Amino acid sequence: MIEARGLTKRYGAKTAVDGMSFTVQPGKVTGFLGPNGAGKSTTMRMVVGLDRPTAGTVAVNGRPYAQHRAPLREVGALLDAKAVHTGRSAYNHLRVMAATHGISRSRVDEVIEMTGLGPVARKRVGGFSLGMGQRLGIASALLGDPHTLILDEPVNGLDPEGVLWVRNLVRYLAGQGRTVFLSSHLMSEMALTADHIIVVGRGRVLADAPVQDVVARASGTAVRVRSPQAAALEELLRRQGATVTSVEHGLLEVTGSTAPAIGDAAASAAIALHELTPVQSSLEDAYLALTADEVEYHSAVAGPTTPSDAPARATAPTGAVR
Amino acid sequence: MTALATPPTRPAAPAVATRPVTFGRVLAAEWLKVRTVRSTVWTLAVTVLAMVGISGLFAWASTTMSDEQAASAGGTDLPALLSAGVNLGQLAVAVLGVLVVTSEYSTGMVRSTFAAVPRRLPVLVAKALVLTGVVVVATVVAMLLSYLVSLPFHDELGVTVDLADAEQLRRLVGLPLYLAGVALLGLAFGALLRHTAGAMTAVIGLLLVVETVFSIVPLRFFELVGPFLPSTAGARVMYGEDTLAMIDGMRDTVSLTPWQGYGVMIAWVVVLGGVAAVLLRRRDA
Repeated sequence: MIEARGLTKRYGAKTAVDGMSFTVQPGKVTGFLGPNGAGKSTTMRMVVGLDRPTAGTVAVNGRPYAQHRAPLREVGALLDAKAVHTGRSAYNHLRVMAATHGISRSRVDEVIEMTGLGPVARKRVGGFSLGMGQRLGIASALLGDPHTLILDEPVNGLDPEGVLWVRNLVRYLAGQGRTVFLSSHLMSEMALTADHIIVVGRGRVLADAPVQDVVARASGTAVRVRSPQAAALEELLRRQGATVTSVEHGLLEVTGSTAPAIGDAAASAAIALHELTPVQSSLEDAYLALTADEVEYHSAVAGPTTPSDAPARATAPTGAVR
Repeated sequence: MTALATPPTRPAAPAVATRPVTFGRVLAAEWLKVRTVRSTVWTLAVTVLAMVGISGLFAWASTTMSDEQAASAGGTDLPALLSAGVNLGQLAVAVLGVLVVTSEYSTGMVRSTFAAVPRRLPVLVAKALVLTGVVVVATVVAMLLSYLVSLPFHDELGVTVDLADAEQLRRLVGLPLYLAGVALLGLAFGALLRHTAGAMTAVIGLLLVVETVFSIVPLRFFELVGPFLPSTAGARVMYGEDTLAMIDGMRDTVSLTPWQGYGVMIAWVVVLGGVAAVLLRRRDA
């Protein structure tokens, strides 16, 4: 469990984290989603006491990180894949970390095996690929068998097999009742991995809810309509108060209405429809809507918002929540 | 997704035993760090080799001089013979002291270190202890090898070993202590500045440039302050009474005893290290 209260970090005049309050619950994978520079990494560093908050507090499992007697037992963190001396082997790096907590060599061997580092464990870390560096970072995080895992962009640089492995691992760990806090800017990955999501932009929490709720709340359900008389239909639906976007010739995306209402309206006006498909917006859409202009959308999180970002919605939402 | 609940690689192991972080465990980790990086091992090996080589050369060269020349150069004096390479050795251990801290910052390792030991201060103290230990051991090894290398020339030079002689004993003990002091100075600068190049420039500039200027330029301010600079003061613990008298004869200010001089050097280490310790806890890693 991670509890942040009014967490703030300023670097001179720049505010990286601006009064964030949130709670990360055990037994779930909580995603931490936001564009680059939104304050995700800074927040995670403050959780494990590497950065001092300018204001506010953050507690892990009930107390500040530095007050735990065996911190690696409480929190395993992957904050930066390159937080390792490049001249030391992966095995020796893990042994150094283990030595501070009296963790046995057999556990070091175990995390090496778990993360698939075996073939390179005795090689110097300086020659590691980004993916191998990530695996070593994850091995370090798992070393103390922690109650809470904090992973900053864990799939960054991993191959598809590695991405799948991380996804399964974090879901397994959360299934054991552990707290898993995972940052990413890959929305598709979040949609597949996270149960709960905290969306941040410019250092502030924009949304803090189950993934499905974020999707549902951030943008209303749209309906895709294909018609040879698209222009006439567009005119008709506009008059009924719906928002209509022309995606391409003959294809409209309609929000603020429903598929039956559109079908009835078209029938009464004798307009032929070739397609009428309700489209649930993806997490990607929700995310873009939330972060496009976080000041404007900040208060709108609680209610449906008008999607004004038509080009973004027109892109195929790969890996979206359906 | 629930169907994927068990990654095949995770063994059904019992709970992992973790113990509280204690100073002893931090010390063990720092000792392991020093042993598992090539730069440390190389720096120490170079220190030993340089000191032994220079001692051997110095002993051989002294046999080619007249007796008076050899005596004034120190070739007939065991502590002087064994510490002939101290000027080079001190640079190597100063670099080692700097690297012990700054290599963690340059590689990012410090974030792993402070995540494991969030109180931070034990890390700095453990580093200082491990550094002192390895430098003292390396110096003693260098002294023993220097003794063996110069042994063939001892009879000709009239070198005698007399550990009952308080001055000789003090000077032999003083050499590893002085080098440990220099290494700790490097560590303190490393912890203060956190950048390899900056810290090396600071400590080597102090040892080679600043202290030399203070000791040779005849300005009153330099004469008053110079004796209290770390290396000038600390090195007195290695010098014989004759050398000390000669140094003090060049100026009319203070005359520290050998141990007072070493105390001044350690005071520098403590003050710089203290400032570094306060900053260590305040700064972001």
